[in-house]
Amino acid sequence: MIEAMGLTKVFNEFIAVRNLSFQVNPGEIYGLLGPNGSGKSTTMRMLLGLLQPTAGSARISGHDIREEIVDAKRVMGYVPEEPVLPERLTGWEYINYISDIWRVPRGPEREEDIQEIMNLLDISDAGDDLIETYSKGMSRKISLVAALIHKPTVLILDELQAGIDPRGAATMKEILNGLRGRGATILMSTHILEIAERMCDRIGIINEGEMIAEGTMTELRTKAKGQSSLEEIFLSLTGGPDMQLIAQYLGESV
Amino acid sequence: MSSSDLLFLLREDITRSFRLRNAKGKRTEKRGLLSRVLKFSIPVIVGGAVLWGVLAIAPMFWDLIESFISENLGMGAAIFNAVLLFSFIGSIMISATTVGSTSKMEYLLITPIKMRTIFLEKTIIVIFYNSIIWMMIGVPLFLGLSIVSPFAFALLSVPAFIVMLLILITIGVSAGGLVGLGVARAVAGRRAIKQIGTAIMSAVAIIGTTLWYVSFYTNSWNDGPNPFDALFDLANSLGFTSILTPGYTVSIVSLGLLVGAPWRWQDLLSVSLFLVLGIGMVLLNSYVSEMAHYSGWLASDATRTSKEEIRKEHGTWNPRSFPGLKLSNIVTASMWFSITSVRRDARVITNYLLGPIRFAIWLVIPGLAFGEGFGGITSYFILAALIPFATSYGLYFAGYELVYEGTNIMNLQLAATNLEEYVRGKVYSAVPFAIIASIIVSIIVLFISPLMWVYLPAVIVACTFLCMASGSIAANEAAKGGDFKADRSFARRRGASIQMPLRGWSSVRASLVPYAIGYAGVFGMILAGVLFGVLYTYAILPVFVLFCWRLTTHYTRNAGLRVAQIDATKYL
Repeated sequence: MIEAMGLTKVFNEFIAVRNLSFQVNPGEIYGLLGPNGSGKSTTMRMLLGLLQPTAGSARISGHDIREEIVDAKRVMGYVPEEPVLPERLTGWEYINYISDIWRVPRGPEREEDIQEIMNLLDISDAGDDLIETYSKGMSRKISLVAALIHKPTVLILDELQAGIDPRGAATMKEILNGLRGRGATILMSTHILEIAERMCDRIGIINEGEMIAEGTMTELRTKAKGQSSLEEIFLSLTGGPDMQLIAQYLGESV
Repeated sequence: MSSSDLLFLLREDITRSFRLRNAKGKRTEKRGLLSRVLKFSIPVIVGGAVLWGVLAIAPMFWDLIESFISENLGMGAAIFNAVLLFSFIGSIMISATTVGSTSKMEYLLITPIKMRTIFLEKTIIVIFYNSIIWMMIGVPLFLGLSIVSPFAFALLSVPAFIVMLLILITIGVSAGGLVGLGVARAVAGRRAIKQIGTAIMSAVAIIGTTLWYVSFYTNSWNDGPNPFDALFDLANSLGFTSILTPGYTVSIVSLGLLVGAPWRWQDLLSVSLFLVLGIGMVLLNSYVSEMAHYSGWLASDATRTSKEEIRKEHGTWNPRSFPGLKLSNIVTASMWFSITSVRRDARVITNYLLGPIRFAIWLVIPGLAFGEGFGGITSYFILAALIPFATSYGLYFAGYELVYEGTNIMNLQLAATNLEEYVRGKVYSAVPFAIIASIIVSIIVLFISPLMWVYLPAVIVACTFLCMASGSIAANEAAKGGDFKADRSFARRRGASIQMPLRGWSSVRASLVPYAIGYAGVFGMILAGVLFGVLYTYAILPVFVLFCWRLTTHYTRNAGLRVAQIDATKYL
């Protein structure tokens, strides 16, 4: 379970996240939506113990992120938006390295687990290649393998499906659904609203660091008064495009 | 903090850095055996040579060596304290840049290992890398002397040296890291101060190390002025050779064991104190690094500043040619991009503009060292120093900067840019700097030897064209052997090696061929003038200019064609 209580992050004079509270329950996928720079990644980085909250607190499976961050990390898996991985390792070496850090017992069972996820994500052929040769999509896939290998109960995914081919995206979706079925707590941010609409049990929309709407799709529709799709709800809450500027641009360019 | 986590990280980091076998994967580029074993063989060869030299020479002079060491047990204090100083200065920015670029090790920071353990491990790796060069020379030296020494415990001087050197470097690296973090904290979010400060510090570092070389050279050849005498006096008066310094303790313990000097309790106490100090400082460094990262106080300027709703109006961008020159849009855009991307980073621009002084100084030194002994040719030495500037500017602005285009090459390829012109723009971007350097050197030469004025216009013109030839050769080598994924980063992170933009023989050719052309051409011209009359210099000048221009057009064309055909996997 993830419990964020009044999380706030201030950089110098800039308030990146403002008094953010939400809860993600076991067996639930929670989508965090918001425009670029709205504070999604900062929120995730606070939950991961990478950034100190200026105020507020959070608990991951009951572990306070300020006091028991190592215990909290032990149950978490994370896939960043742009994974930066050790380029001089091969895919297999990297996964084994991460498995050792997480104290996953060595042996055939671990090998089989790694092989199984790599097969699912269609990257087992590249396991012996150096990571520096990986494409963006492959880096994300190998990051997902690393995030899953210690069987986390809480998963934090930042724009997981960006840059992934359709087959890979479908596989990832199945994996996430499977994990949800097994009771995992999943927090994901995405810009692909269709994915959020289809996959997430609940959605939180943040803008300029503040939670402006939260709930299931039905609840959001009610709040947005008649807007039916998530895109319409999102745009009505965060502000749509400036149609006048677009028309002006098209008029001048075409 | 878990020691098993620390040991695990250290083991992985070191084994990863010293991979001997190629990765098995099909997509991975295989590296030759030589390049894989080179990093191991160089220290072994150097160490072996030092050991052989000591074993061959020391037995003949052992009595002399023994009595000298016995009477001056603290003689290594200045050397060891200098090691401490070097590791301190060299590490000032490393902690801050490591914390500042933690996104590169986020995969590690999210693991259930305390952040402070991770930062501690990175600091230990820096200590390890800092110690390699001193170990490479010191260990065989002590080993050789201890074999020659008749004293029973002489061999213990080797582990004593290793342990104490590590303590020394630990203190230096940790103190440097703490100072760097403090400075980074003070200037966080203040771009102008950061840029100016970086430029000044880089310039001081370049000029300081150059003067350091000069001091060695001048000392070894004559009793002339030593620019560091005053500094040494100051260091002495500050107690740099004091018995209270870590360097003194290293010296007295390791050398004492070599010549069987009796142990004193004060030395044991000093060793213990410095050991505790080293451990304390390295732990403090990792704690402060953790705080710097976790609290976000080293966050970038963009992250720290509020977004303001200001709509800016930009006029149509139109890079202009230099007055009097008619250049195409692609050439001017390339020049603008090259100069802009360099000047926005104070460290880069300082290193580019002043960096060649490191090479040039070796040519000026004989003039300084021998003074009047070289009679009238001192000016020629100073003129010779101009060549590294002209060639290096070409190398940096056209060679390195072409490599640092990186993924931008994709834009250029997609836009079907005439890459010959683009490369030419890069070459031309170096020219103003070469002209300025030529004029400055010419003024210096005029002061030293006014009669040489007749040659100076020819030298300025020759160096301008030499710079272009050098740039085009470097660009061609960059297109052939550049690492288009390399970062333009002079700021090293902990444990990271410097990424060279040009690799292997391409790097050698890009540096040495322009040197050969420059010295043969410029000094050929001057020699002709000295031997047959100044008119001959000006008669040869057009030939040299034409030759350089021919090289420029030939190699910019080759480089342009190569870059146009470069595969996307090379830069993506």
